[in-house]
Amino acid sequence: MLGELINPYYLQVASFILINIILGLSIYVTLASGQLSLGSAGFMAVGAYTTALLTTNFEVPLLVGILAGVMLAGIFGIIVGIPSLRLRGVFLAIATLGFGEIVRVFIVNTESLTKGAIGISGIPQLGREILDKLEVIGFDPEILGLKANQFTFLIVFILLLIIVIVLVCFFSRQKNSRVGRAFSAINMDEQAAASMGINVTYYKVLSFTQGAMLAGLAGALYAHVLSYISPADFTYHKAVEILTFSVFGGSEVVGGAIFGATFLTLLPETLRAISEYRYMIYGILLVVMMAYRPQGVIDEQMMRWFKRRKGRRQQHGTENK
Amino acid sequence: MVLKINNISKQFGGITALSNVSFSITEGEILGLIGPNGAGKTTMFNMITSVLAPTSGDISFYDEQISGLKSHQITTKGICRTFQNIRLFPEMTVIENVMTGSHCRTKSGVWKSVFRTKSQKQEEKEIYDKAKQLLETVNLLKERETLGKNLAYGQQRRLEIARALASEPKLLLLDEPAAGMNEQETVELHRLITKIRDMGITILLIEHDMPLVMKTCDRIVVLNFGKKIAEGEPKAIQSNPEVIKAYLGTEGDDDIA
Amino acid sequence: MFLEQLINGITTGSIYAIVALGYTLVFGVLGIINMAHGEIFMFGAFMGVVITSTLGLPLWLAFVAAAVITAILGYLLERLALRPLRNRPDSHLAPLISTIGVSIFLENLADKLFGSGNHPVQNSLSEASFTIGSVNIYVVQIVIFCISIALMIALSYWLLKTKGGKALRATAENLETASLLGVNTKRVIMVTVVLASVIGGIAGILVGMAFSSVNPQMGLSFGLKGLAIIILGGMGNVKGAMVGGMILGLSETLVVALGYSGYRDAIAFIMIIVILLLRPQGLFGTKTA
Ligand SMILES: Nc1ncnc2c1ncn2[C@@H]1O[C@H](COP(=O)(O)OP(=O)(O)OP(=O)(O)O)[C@@H](O)[C@H]1O
Ligand SMILES: [Mg+2]
Repeated sequence: MLGELINPYYLQVASFILINIILGLSIYVTLASGQLSLGSAGFMAVGAYTTALLTTNFEVPLLVGILAGVMLAGIFGIIVGIPSLRLRGVFLAIATLGFGEIVRVFIVNTESLTKGAIGISGIPQLGREILDKLEVIGFDPEILGLKANQFTFLIVFILLLIIVIVLVCFFSRQKNSRVGRAFSAINMDEQAAASMGINVTYYKVLSFTQGAMLAGLAGALYAHVLSYISPADFTYHKAVEILTFSVFGGSEVVGGAIFGATFLTLLPETLRAISEYRYMIYGILLVVMMAYRPQGVIDEQMMRWFKRRKGRRQQHGTENK
Repeated sequence: MVLKINNISKQFGGITALSNVSFSITEGEILGLIGPNGAGKTTMFNMITSVLAPTSGDISFYDEQISGLKSHQITTKGICRTFQNIRLFPEMTVIENVMTGSHCRTKSGVWKSVFRTKSQKQEEKEIYDKAKQLLETVNLLKERETLGKNLAYGQQRRLEIARALASEPKLLLLDEPAAGMNEQETVELHRLITKIRDMGITILLIEHDMPLVMKTCDRIVVLNFGKKIAEGEPKAIQSNPEVIKAYLGTEGDDDIA
Repeated sequence: MFLEQLINGITTGSIYAIVALGYTLVFGVLGIINMAHGEIFMFGAFMGVVITSTLGLPLWLAFVAAAVITAILGYLLERLALRPLRNRPDSHLAPLISTIGVSIFLENLADKLFGSGNHPVQNSLSEASFTIGSVNIYVVQIVIFCISIALMIALSYWLLKTKGGKALRATAENLETASLLGVNTKRVIMVTVVLASVIGGIAGILVGMAFSSVNPQMGLSFGLKGLAIIILGGMGNVKGAMVGGMILGLSETLVVALGYSGYRDAIAFIMIIVILLLRPQGLFGTKTA
């Protein structure tokens, strides 16, 4: 019965939405401290290639490969982030764009290691690996009434969903804390933040590195979901796409990345005709958003309003009791 | 000795904003720092808080060298300031502004915040309560959920003071807190400043409103063209011929009387 | 051999320099980086393809067409993507994001209009060459070099000596003061953006002639090169753009000659990062507080 409900195609789309949410979050968290990174595609590539090379060439377990990808992306984040502190906003963006392109050119040119423009195929698939592990202990997807491939898509989706829920909790809580307040203080006025005793350097590098690690994580997951990656996946286009998720959905709040990534991933899937013009639409969206709603569809005010309404309803509830 | 300014000079390209200025502040006093426009008062604040590095000279705080530290380290040591051109966090609510001021007196990092540990919750509650108390002190408790940018001018100035107080300073630097305030607000400001002093906080006050300065300060240092031209009690300063000359040389709005 | 490479480098460098001029002008006046400049330049290059190869018309017409099209694009860019953001206190990032939007739009529009992949540029000059001693020189190279230099001189003259140029410099110095002094800053800004775009369009045609291949993605790589040059030469600095262009052109030629042609495009990015970190004000800029 479950078997008829589960359509691998929908699950695949849902999985991409989840990966895109992680990417949107990577922009959100760097912007939280007032920094714009156009290097997310580069950090994503670092994560993806690290785990792809480790798992295909050295048969490293997936988990280790993914973690290595995240760590390496984080290290690159620190390396790019620390010196970039000296740069004013616009130049940081350009330096990160330069970083992304260097990563791509490097991958294209080190054919012996990365297979160059052809890309790496046969990367172990997340769902497949999990199923293999489970089969060893005697699990059979038939128990759930599922075919093997349905099960693999389902398990990938569930896993990504858990990761995203954890990340969303992580960043919402961080936002409403001392760390989050430090980020937004820096975003609004660096000098005032410093005079309030906030270590601007530390928090800027922290937020930049968190962003890099998120992008690296998304890249690593992407590699194991698709099982094929090439430099074409990590171009300037990708960086702009990721930026659009956050800018359109709302760059001030965690919910913005969720909305932006979901809406913009579903749009071309549901309206096939649009798919071809996707990047043109992204472009128009960026321009229109900057002109009319620079904070994105979902903003802080909206969240406050929701919270107040929720608060009132709860109050109401207790009064009725 | 709370603060000791020792032979501070500051050059901006060709302009000498401060030359060989020395003075010190003793515990519990309100020291006024006055002088005509461009005299170098704000520059002195920037030296003390390490926003800019002095060209020469040094500063010590409770007998400890603080020149060369970063701004945030100086705040942690116990010196906090307000700005001449108000610098609130405009998109934060009033209470968030004040809670941000507690940053250097709290510790929760990323992990504690994310796991909402007991100590983190405790800390959040403490700074929330403290922020409410400070807002009460500056008479902004009712506005606590308003965004900083939506406050009236005088309210913004008071919020900046509350935010600075949240960092638990031993020395508070106020840069023209009365600017843009009406008479009534200025009277309240005077009360607020003395109240802060009574909390045990030493105050260095830059102000152009002479009646306020004369009424509030225990001692006054006068700068003109980057040089210290006088130092003493309000009475003596008022009748100091050098000071009168310096002020007469500029427009009348700083009338010293 | 060496001389040929040198001439190659100088030709490429002089084109890069005029790409950079477009960034410099807009940055000088508006203080923003126009991320769509590369794509406007690419549209200019495609005018060269359409006029000469597709329609078989003479080369000078391509220059006219490129100037007209890029002027229109510049006008639209200023009206739709820049003006609405002005006078808003919040963000220095908004114009950057907005022009990124324009860049991605134009690139994909070109892809739809002209088709992806490389398009050749044909003209009577492309094969003409002569030999001095052992050195083979293409006429195109001379033409490109002369046009670039002429453009530089004309622009410098215009900026320094004419009323319009003075208004532009006054606006660049300080927008509010200029408008108090009676400069119509709205118009100056429009003129700046259009002028920068037209210069970009002309650079596009020159690139088509020099490399004989034009594609929708070239905006990004040339744009980044232009950015590298102004970062190297200092923002809002015409002389810096020229010297920076030469340095980049020559170092790229050197890298190719050494056999690392795959890394040719990486030089600009590496230059961007190194300069930004070591000397953010550029080689010729002075440090501002
Ligand atoms: N960052 C800076 N760069 C260059 N010059 C500066 C800088 N800051 C201050 N100055 C110059 O130093 C001098 C002193 O300025 P400062 O702001 O300290 O004066 P002030 O006493 O606070 O005046 P006011 O009463 O108008 O606030 C002025 O001539 C000013 O132009
Ligand atoms: Mg001042």
